[in-house]
Amino acid sequence: MNMELSRRGFLRAAGAGVAGTSLGAMGFSEAEAAVAAYVRPLKLANTTETRNTCPYCSVACGIILYSKGDVRKGERAEIVHIEGDADHPTNRGTLCPKGAALKDFVQAPTRLTRPMHRKPGSDRFEPITWDAALDRIARLMKDDRDANFVLRNDAGIPVNRWTTTGMLAASATTNETAWTTFKVAKSLGIVGFDNQARV
Amino acid sequence: MSGFSTIQPDPSQIGRLLKPAFAVLPDPPLLFRQRAERFDALAQEGAMAPYLRFLARLSGVQAELAAKLPAPEPIPAEQVERARANGMPPLDRAALAADPALRATIDRFLPAMETVEMPRQASDALAWLRRTTPEMVEEMLGNIMADSIPFDALPAHLFLSAAVQVHAARLAATLDAERLVPVETGLCPVCGGPPVSSMVVGRPGAEGTRYAACSCCGTQWNEVRVKCLACGSTKGVGYKSPEGEEATVKAETCDSCRSWVKILYQDRNPSLEPVADDVASLGLDMMMGETEYRRAGFDPFLLGY
Repeated sequence: MNMELSRRGFLRAAGAGVAGTSLGAMGFSEAEAAVAAYVRPLKLANTTETRNTCPYCSVACGIILYSKGDVRKGERAEIVHIEGDADHPTNRGTLCPKGAALKDFVQAPTRLTRPMHRKPGSDRFEPITWDAALDRIARLMKDDRDANFVLRNDAGIPVNRWTTTGMLAASATTNETAWTTFKVAKSLGIVGFDNQARV
Repeated sequence: MSGFSTIQPDPSQIGRLLKPAFAVLPDPPLLFRQRAERFDALAQEGAMAPYLRFLARLSGVQAELAAKLPAPEPIPAEQVERARANGMPPLDRAALAADPALRATIDRFLPAMETVEMPRQASDALAWLRRTTPEMVEEMLGNIMADSIPFDALPAHLFLSAAVQVHAARLAATLDAERLVPVETGLCPVCGGPPVSSMVVGRPGAEGTRYAACSCCGTQWNEVRVKCLACGSTKGVGYKSPEGEEATVKAETCDSCRSWVKILYQDRNPSLEPVADDVASLGLDMMMGETEYRRAGFDPFLLGY
């Protein structure tokens, strides 16, 4: 820590108030007082800059999210701007057109925030609970796999293929998540699979 | 650019993805002239005008001196290499206090300041400084090199700091920016000094990166953004500015060490200058004085906040 500051801290703690300033000591106290009067009614607002990874593709560009409102102090934060992270070695601040439009993606009124279900023959999506959705997905997967699983090919060699169901997984994940996703899909025998999908 | 010439993948060869320079050394006459011009522009309005006008003249004197003085003796190559090998700054500030070339700069700077209009307190200090003993000057230079300026003799130290800035910038300019290495987060790679403020720059090849500006030698060096320049923490970094305005000067606060340093968004306002706009945004210092955070940016022209 620099000594000028420690000394000032000491003077403050000793009740001496502000011991002296460059402006005051140089004879510009009037200017100093005028600035003090000007800022007195003003309040400070907090913005936050947060590092993150673009969710779109497996290039995984670094981004900085600018938000208003201090989450650390229990306030609600709102994203006001998103830009490329110039410190990130992958993209050095650049973004593709999709990444550059990320703020609209985050704040889109049509953004999916819960599971939705479009029933066969229906023309609209309806909300569904996670439990119901996962149960239904598991049921349909099981039925389809039981019906269409290919144990051996024409030559009688074991292949364990399940070609009638495919899977797309998004790319904003860690290596560990990607590894687990791969294991889940491949242990079921799924062939049509991309776990770093460019969505 | 010749494209791929080795088998090693090098993403910087694709498109315009350039790694920004680690350090930008000052061009002393230009540095101080641009600072003087910025002070002048800022002095056109507002309550701070008298002080800003004074600092515009002072920077003008610095610029003139930087252009006129004979070229300084470069820092010895073996000192630069030794510093580099040990991760230390090549400019030895402690030894600088005894440098005869610095005395020569001071001896030219002080008389040149006589022509500048200033309040009584300031001109008295200047007159006293011209009369005082070399031992006294050496002691004050020691304080300046340690960034520890006593408040009872602040004006004299301010004038001396300005002369030191000229000499340090001219020494820094003799170095090779490519041979500099990071010393520590928030410390100048040339002289080891603390920053005045930092800037998010918009210049081609470094758009959106942040450079900290040294308060002593005027070197600018690259620092990762969203990182505290006082303690290096990346957790709990926030940005404060007066409510209701699109601020281009903000206080970068750190919840780990409870300090703050100004950050200037030069990418949004190219006129911003690290020292001039630090002084001109005194209002932010006053508002930050009411918070729990402590100022960690160092500026001899804006001490005591």
